[in-house]
Amino acid sequence: MAVAKLEQLAKSVVQGPSMATGAVPVKDWMDVSAIFKPGNYAYQAKQEKVEYLNSQKGLHFPNAREWSPEDEDWKLPENWKEIILKGLKERLEKFRSLKIFMDCCVRCGACADKCHFFLGTGDPKNMPVLRAELLRSIYRNDFTLGGKLLGKMAGGREMTVAVLKEWFMYSYQCTECRRCSVFCPYGIDTAEITIILRELLHLVGVGINWILEPVSNSNRTGNHMGLQPHTFKDNVDFLADDIENLTGVKINHSFNRKGAEVLFITPSADVFAEPGLYTAMGYLMLFEHIGLDYTWSTYASEGGNFGLFTNNETMKKLNGKMYAEAKRLGVKYIIGGECGHMWRVVHQYMDTMNGPADFLEVPKSPMTGTTFHNAASTKMVHISEFTADLIKHGKLNLDKSRNSHVKATFHDSCNPARAMGLIDEPRYILDHVVDGWVEMPENTIREQTFCCGSGTGLNTDEIMELRMRSGLPRANAVKHVIDKHAVNMLSCVCAIDRATLTSLMNYWNPGCDVCGVSELVGNALVMEGENRQELTEGLRTLV
Amino acid sequence: MNLDEAFRNYREKIVDQWVNYTLSTYKSSTFFIKEKDKFANPVGGNIREALDCLFDLLAKNADPQEFVAPLEQIILIRAIQEFTASVAVGPIHAVKHITREILAKDKERCHLVQELYDFEFAVDLAVLAAFDLYMHCRERLYQVRIKEIKTGTYLLTDSKCPSNLLKINIQESIPSNS
Repeated sequence: MAVAKLEQLAKSVVQGPSMATGAVPVKDWMDVSAIFKPGNYAYQAKQEKVEYLNSQKGLHFPNAREWSPEDEDWKLPENWKEIILKGLKERLEKFRSLKIFMDCCVRCGACADKCHFFLGTGDPKNMPVLRAELLRSIYRNDFTLGGKLLGKMAGGREMTVAVLKEWFMYSYQCTECRRCSVFCPYGIDTAEITIILRELLHLVGVGINWILEPVSNSNRTGNHMGLQPHTFKDNVDFLADDIENLTGVKINHSFNRKGAEVLFITPSADVFAEPGLYTAMGYLMLFEHIGLDYTWSTYASEGGNFGLFTNNETMKKLNGKMYAEAKRLGVKYIIGGECGHMWRVVHQYMDTMNGPADFLEVPKSPMTGTTFHNAASTKMVHISEFTADLIKHGKLNLDKSRNSHVKATFHDSCNPARAMGLIDEPRYILDHVVDGWVEMPENTIREQTFCCGSGTGLNTDEIMELRMRSGLPRANAVKHVIDKHAVNMLSCVCAIDRATLTSLMNYWNPGCDVCGVSELVGNALVMEGENRQELTEGLRTLV
Repeated sequence: MNLDEAFRNYREKIVDQWVNYTLSTYKSSTFFIKEKDKFANPVGGNIREALDCLFDLLAKNADPQEFVAPLEQIILIRAIQEFTASVAVGPIHAVKHITREILAKDKERCHLVQELYDFEFAVDLAVLAAFDLYMHCRERLYQVRIKEIKTGTYLLTDSKCPSNLLKINIQESIPSNS
């Protein structure tokens, strides 16, 4: 554009980074490399957490140290480059998918504009194709003949510290949501490229605390918060007390009970943090309503598996814990709560890591007789599948009018939608528990759903701006149904969503609350022997 | 030929240039400019929609209160992106220069440039409002952070297990010999 004044207008007069957003006044975007400033990166893992994890059998988290992404020197091991290239070689041999993904991309660009990080930042390195190219360029340079001979001309480049820093920047600006994969004509799972990038970075001690501390807590006490059995029990007991106060129904639940038919596992956030608490109350009420013979576990007290965001060994170990507990208690099968990535791990990786779970039985609903053949190998059934089946067989006494304060829409959480195909069950439940819920625009739901923007361990507050950027596509679609249909509740089936969408709504669409689908089920349940108070806000009513 | 008519004639051209200029502040702006679906392209879609609306308000000397809605649609986005404050709100200003330039190039209408005072004053008011909204958005973001901490999500990393805390307390209460 030839308007002379505009060029001047595009530049800040005041120089130096902005205290507010960490932005540096721009020169030319091509001159900008990965620069770490407060607010644009998640804090590095604490030394003690890395040390602890590295000391655990079967886990490998070397190079524990004090460091900061803002420092020039990241205190990498002397032979860091060798470690990275060897690590990549091993993984190319071990994971055939990685080798294929490295080779088969034709850079058609179908994925480029599908990433919520790209859509929210406009940063080209957030185009999935380019994010993958950050790794692919190294692969070409060191592992292909063309790259070895022609180097840069064949799209290769040498592994340097600057490249490593770029990896750290952009593998933590991806939530492994896999929306881009839906559009890839070759089926490249870009999430797996991010997974490998993060694995490689862990080999030289580069990781973030928001992931490694929950992992270390889960390894130690069984849940992200590091809470011990008595605290976990107390919290579930409190929720049961709350239900009794609100509805007059006494909840009969148990912990670590051997011989129960079902083990119930949900993300610990449902038991400890708002608004997940109300979802957990929904579970308790549902199981009470149908008289399910089930138990909670204070050891397998976490559905979430942040191991998925570190490396496959850690993911395997944390997933294995759920099955070890199911075996110890002698249950027939597992029901899993509303979690996101737990289901990706269970559906896509569990079977080859820890399966098949032959010591368990194929889940069969004791109320309806339905056998969940989809869980024939993992023996773990999703609460929404279980609930939808109960509704279909008329086993639940529901009163929609108890949700009359709610005008809902539904956010497909990435992992259940794209990694396990759980798309219609929550919708079927909503049809039966709320009146007139509405869908968001077609290209933002079901398989094409937009991520909350804070998955894969990025739900930490030091990168709040980044989270708001990457959550913009989701929030934008919610705003549409708020404006058009006066929606006041964003329902979902993921614990990370419940926490992060709440913050997302508080910024983009204040006044819109977030809930789990099971909370709406709990609201609508007409319980036997109830002495219900006037609950104008359902289970959230303060009495 | 009066100014109102000139605005009507050049409306599309001015808004288009304004939108393109605003979107050119993003590192990779081709897609933001090209894709018209607001849900596939939230940044481009919202900025286009809002500037389109804002131009009419500026051109007809509307009550500045009416600027708030379209401005908020833009500033909510730009306040959390990696811009300095001035670059975040700067593009609002751009319509002044674009309009002058376009009118000046039209021989029949170049005299109207002299009559742009009211229009440009309205733009000044919009820029000032944009600064207020920018600060409002930043404040809202800080509140979001505080709320998140209050709901207990922070427990994920900042909590200590009670027995460990007890151990630390005991260690600290033992007087050291040094």
